Amino acid sequence: MNGHLPPGLPQPRETPTNAPMLHAWRTDGGLALQRCAACAKVIFYPRPVCPHCWDDRLVWFRAAGTGTVLSFTQVHRGLPAAFQADAPVIVAEIALAEGAAMIARIVAPDPAAVRSGMAVRLVPPAEAVRFPLPTFMPA
Amino acid sequence: MSADGAGIVGYGSSVYEKRATRTEVSYFAEAARAALASAGLGKDAVNGISISSTTLHPDNAVTTAEHLGLSPRWASVSNAGGAGAAINVLDAVRAVQTGRASCVLCLAGAAQDGAFFRERIGRFTGSFGDYVAPHGCGGMNGLFAIIQRKHAETFGTDRTQLGRIAVDQRANARANEFALLRGPMTIDDYLDAPIVADPLGLFDCVMPCSGAEAILVGPLDRAPKGKGVRVLAGREQHNHPVGEVSPIRGGWELFRDALYDEAGFGPSDVQFVQAYDDYPIMVAIQLEDLGFCRKGEVGPFLARRHMTFDGDFPINTGGGQLSCGQTGGGGGMIGLTEAVRQLRGEGGARQVPGARRGLVSGYGMVAYGHGLSASALMLEAVR
Repeated sequence: MNGHLPPGLPQPRETPTNAPMLHAWRTDGGLALQRCAACAKVIFYPRPVCPHCWDDRLVWFRAAGTGTVLSFTQVHRGLPAAFQADAPVIVAEIALAEGAAMIARIVAPDPAAVRSGMAVRLVPPAEAVRFPLPTFMPA
Repeated sequence: MSADGAGIVGYGSSVYEKRATRTEVSYFAEAARAALASAGLGKDAVNGISISSTTLHPDNAVTTAEHLGLSPRWASVSNAGGAGAAINVLDAVRAVQTGRASCVLCLAGAAQDGAFFRERIGRFTGSFGDYVAPHGCGGMNGLFAIIQRKHAETFGTDRTQLGRIAVDQRANARANEFALLRGPMTIDDYLDAPIVADPLGLFDCVMPCSGAEAILVGPLDRAPKGKGVRVLAGREQHNHPVGEVSPIRGGWELFRDALYDEAGFGPSDVQFVQAYDDYPIMVAIQLEDLGFCRKGEVGPFLARRHMTFDGDFPINTGGGQLSCGQTGGGGGMIGLTEAVRQLRGEGGARQVPGARRGLVSGYGMVAYGHGLSASALMLEAVR
């Protein structure tokens, strides 16, 4: 399903720090992460320096786009207007295959089937334009 | 000023309102007048000001002094959300001890309603606005739902256990005429309420509202006889654990031993706890991290304790934010004013019998996945 970003969605501010991550998502639906050249840790969200060792040699790379649900919620009420047609919106803490954890939305045909421990992967590239940030689906 | 000579000499609360009928400074002024009256002091005694507010921008402590016609020689603003008010009061005690000021007015509150809150919540902090809100979390409820589910799936903590916090706090609120939510609530009412962000239901989520709280810090010998409150110890911790997105701990566990050592008493020696209650799950995590029970055992602990003001483990004896409403940064001070009220023996219909020592904890500054800031104070009545 193609489409476009629904109007009225909150958007991240684009900065020199996060531009590579946002561009990777917007251009081909990929997940770009930073790895520290000094301590080798993978981080999310994007930083100007490594939060673990303060080295500034952070190298962008293309992540596999897969992970595991650590915990999640289905948000039914209190959603911004732009999301209300999608209720319930599933938001999860996801452990990425590369080691970092992130908060991200999960789009699932059957919301009731989402579980902690479930494997997830990025939505197909053609659907990325519908979401402001990297978004996942059951693997 | 000797190290034990400064403490809390006054306290006050404004009325709470679901919709703001006036400005933030107006609520501050009402709470400040009450605090000065409780101390038997006038406006001219105040020469320090300290504010905890998440809605004050572009104003600050100095410009609030301008509004209120004060000329302070010490001014401070908190950066720690709902953990900030406790830190402000600790800093104010230190400011008086070191001579920076002799009487500090500590304020916390907001002029807001639900619509105002929803409008600004998406930009509450930078990382929340950039990397959480675009996913459609619906404010902070989704993040705390993720934390509660993780606690439940890790330790077995269930909604019937956590609901005891909301139910007993509501019973406390029924004796507090300032509480906005005073209707009776049973555990079935709690469990049957609409789901907001599963597993969070309606009564797990605070209601944004308007109002303010005030604490007056000064030399204890200036407090009316028998009405002073000592601040025996306080601690804060921020951004712990580094890099963890949805932790089921908050930082209190790092400082609790030092906190109790400095105070000279611990969790078994307090007559009540005023814990930061943006969500019952965070009250539960505070109780674990502060050592009232072992980590992971808060569910059974809650099931066998009675948290009403006349119970065996009084918590949030005025009803807390869950029943009174959340006045922005004032949510970090509502437990402090209630603690002082109890320690002065002025709890009225909700007085905790024999209240002599209490613990107040704060929590806040939600960013990428959780609240970054934890704080706690150990208080003791001067007799």
